[in-house]
Amino acid sequence: MKIANLMNTVDMIQAAKWAFSTRRVKQNDAVGLCNDVGLARSGDLVLGRIQRIGSHKRIQLRSGRPNELYQGDLIIVACGARYASDQFEGIAQLNPQGADLLAGGGCLGKMRVRNGKMKLPTRVLPIGLLTDEKGAVLNLDQYALPLAIRPQKLTAIGVVGASMNSGKTDATASLVHGLRLAGYRVAALKATGTGAFGDYNAYVDAGADFTADFTDAGMVSTYEQPLLRIERGIDTLLGAADNNGCNIAVVEFADGVLQQETAAMLKNPRVCSAFGGFLYAVPDSLAALGGAYALKQIGIVPLALTGLITQSPLNVNEAEKATGLPVISREELRDPAQASCLVNSNTSIVKQRLVV
Amino acid sequence: MFKSPLEILPPPGKSQSQISLHKIRRVASDQLTGLGCWVAIPTTPDPSLPPLVVVHGVYRDVEGMLKVLTSRFSHGRRTVIAPVFDETNWRGYQRVLAERRADLALLSLLKSINLPGVADISSFDLLGYSGGAQFAHRFALLYPHLINRLALCSAGWYTFPDNSPYPYGLARPEKKLQGFTPLVRSNLSAFLRLPIEVFVGERDTDQDQNLRRGKAIDRQQGDNRVERATNWVKALNEAVCAQGLTSQVNLTVMDGCGHDWRECVYLGGLVGLWLPREAPEHLAPKMTQ
Repeated sequence: MKIANLMNTVDMIQAAKWAFSTRRVKQNDAVGLCNDVGLARSGDLVLGRIQRIGSHKRIQLRSGRPNELYQGDLIIVACGARYASDQFEGIAQLNPQGADLLAGGGCLGKMRVRNGKMKLPTRVLPIGLLTDEKGAVLNLDQYALPLAIRPQKLTAIGVVGASMNSGKTDATASLVHGLRLAGYRVAALKATGTGAFGDYNAYVDAGADFTADFTDAGMVSTYEQPLLRIERGIDTLLGAADNNGCNIAVVEFADGVLQQETAAMLKNPRVCSAFGGFLYAVPDSLAALGGAYALKQIGIVPLALTGLITQSPLNVNEAEKATGLPVISREELRDPAQASCLVNSNTSIVKQRLVV
Repeated sequence: MFKSPLEILPPPGKSQSQISLHKIRRVASDQLTGLGCWVAIPTTPDPSLPPLVVVHGVYRDVEGMLKVLTSRFSHGRRTVIAPVFDETNWRGYQRVLAERRADLALLSLLKSINLPGVADISSFDLLGYSGGAQFAHRFALLYPHLINRLALCSAGWYTFPDNSPYPYGLARPEKKLQGFTPLVRSNLSAFLRLPIEVFVGERDTDQDQNLRRGKAIDRQQGDNRVERATNWVKALNEAVCAQGLTSQVNLTVMDGCGHDWRECVYLGGLVGLWLPREAPEHLAPKMTQ
């Protein structure tokens, strides 16, 4: 590999805006650049220059605040894929002539599909891959939490949804808050998705005693990652929660229950056995019915429905009648009594399936 | 089995506070929740002991209740917290979820209170008397994870583990209570795993003005406190069996006692029965069922 000029490289690295997805990286480790950006794999750290502002006008900094982007800005992000039905689908591939900022949290790749309401992605010229003093490319997985075995005593509640923007994060944060008030030490975790600080900050704001996502397990995005890696990532996050003294974890799964990695995790008995139950966030009654059916096909009966549907009393009535499931608003999830009751609910069908 | 009342009552010439191994102090109401408390601070606190939370009945003589209780303690190592659900702000506190949320107030109080000898408020022993016993078992149904041991003394009525709408049973009420319909049934299994001691005075059979009456509740629970305690413990133990658990639910009918806190403590030997490690040996009679 060809190593770029060290003096200029260090200056550029120091001047760059480091994205939230790089928050675990020791910045001083980055002392060089590899110019073969076409060889980048998911998680590799990339120094890039903003060529054209598109959909993402801001980058989320590792400090946890948004930063306005300007043409010519230097940024440090991770190469990765993204699956977001309301935004972009893209893969972990970098074109040396220009790449796409797939997520403001710091995920750079090649866009394949975009939602009709989205502008073109912000365009970034990849200058090089960050390297350490030995010339090895730096990757997020080097900075991941140590692999952990799933703790036996930690209770976990999963939050899944019909789609992106169905109210999962709000439900997760609300349940975290309610459980905290009920006297639990609570971890808020995100199992799948693309690294960004929106959900992370929402968990912190809710009062979580420990917050982490798949980025802490070494992945900028779980899209198109090996399923075993995602599964081990979940175990690692649960283990870290346990190590931090938590006795319960609320775990959000990104996108809808039909998204490939989320669906694969939910179909996996070993993954499901970590969970005492699931909340299902939906925008309306039809999504409630369809999703409840889809979940039942893979052996999951949600503890309750939640999400955007709770804004519509008529939709709530329809969903309760159609599915037989209770519908719980975010205000109720924030109530320690209701949160406590939810934790002790159980999903018998999940357990039956595991026994079989 | 029991000492006579004359032997058990405090020595003449000494008030209970003088012989107490605790300092009894008033903690003003929290402005946010409107809930204050009395606390008994031990002379030699042991942070490894979970605090004891004691909930009063509708007569609300909390200070007196606390003094009577701690006068029976043989050592001053455990902190006792007695919230005050005053009559102005907390009518109906016994039902927990009615009117104002008594559970939220107690959670907030326990979270905010900073007392010597209390290292960790995440688990505590809970004792309720009369209306306080109603509160205590309903609180424990909502938050079983917080309770180390539960004792109910002389409750007027109970939430049964049946399909009556909450608070009579565990079914979801038709109307929302304070904005939500709690899924209380979910907590039954965790609740049934708790060590639960139910006490009632042998003579507590009056149908006094404070006893909730009606055809439905009498049919469900019984005509007086003794019948209701007996039926509730029986129902809990049936639920324990149905879930394949080991019962830790016990009923003690205290000889000679009526509906009176002092009698239950001094004559019935409540402290010795429930907290034998806190009581002098001669005040710790064996459990009777």
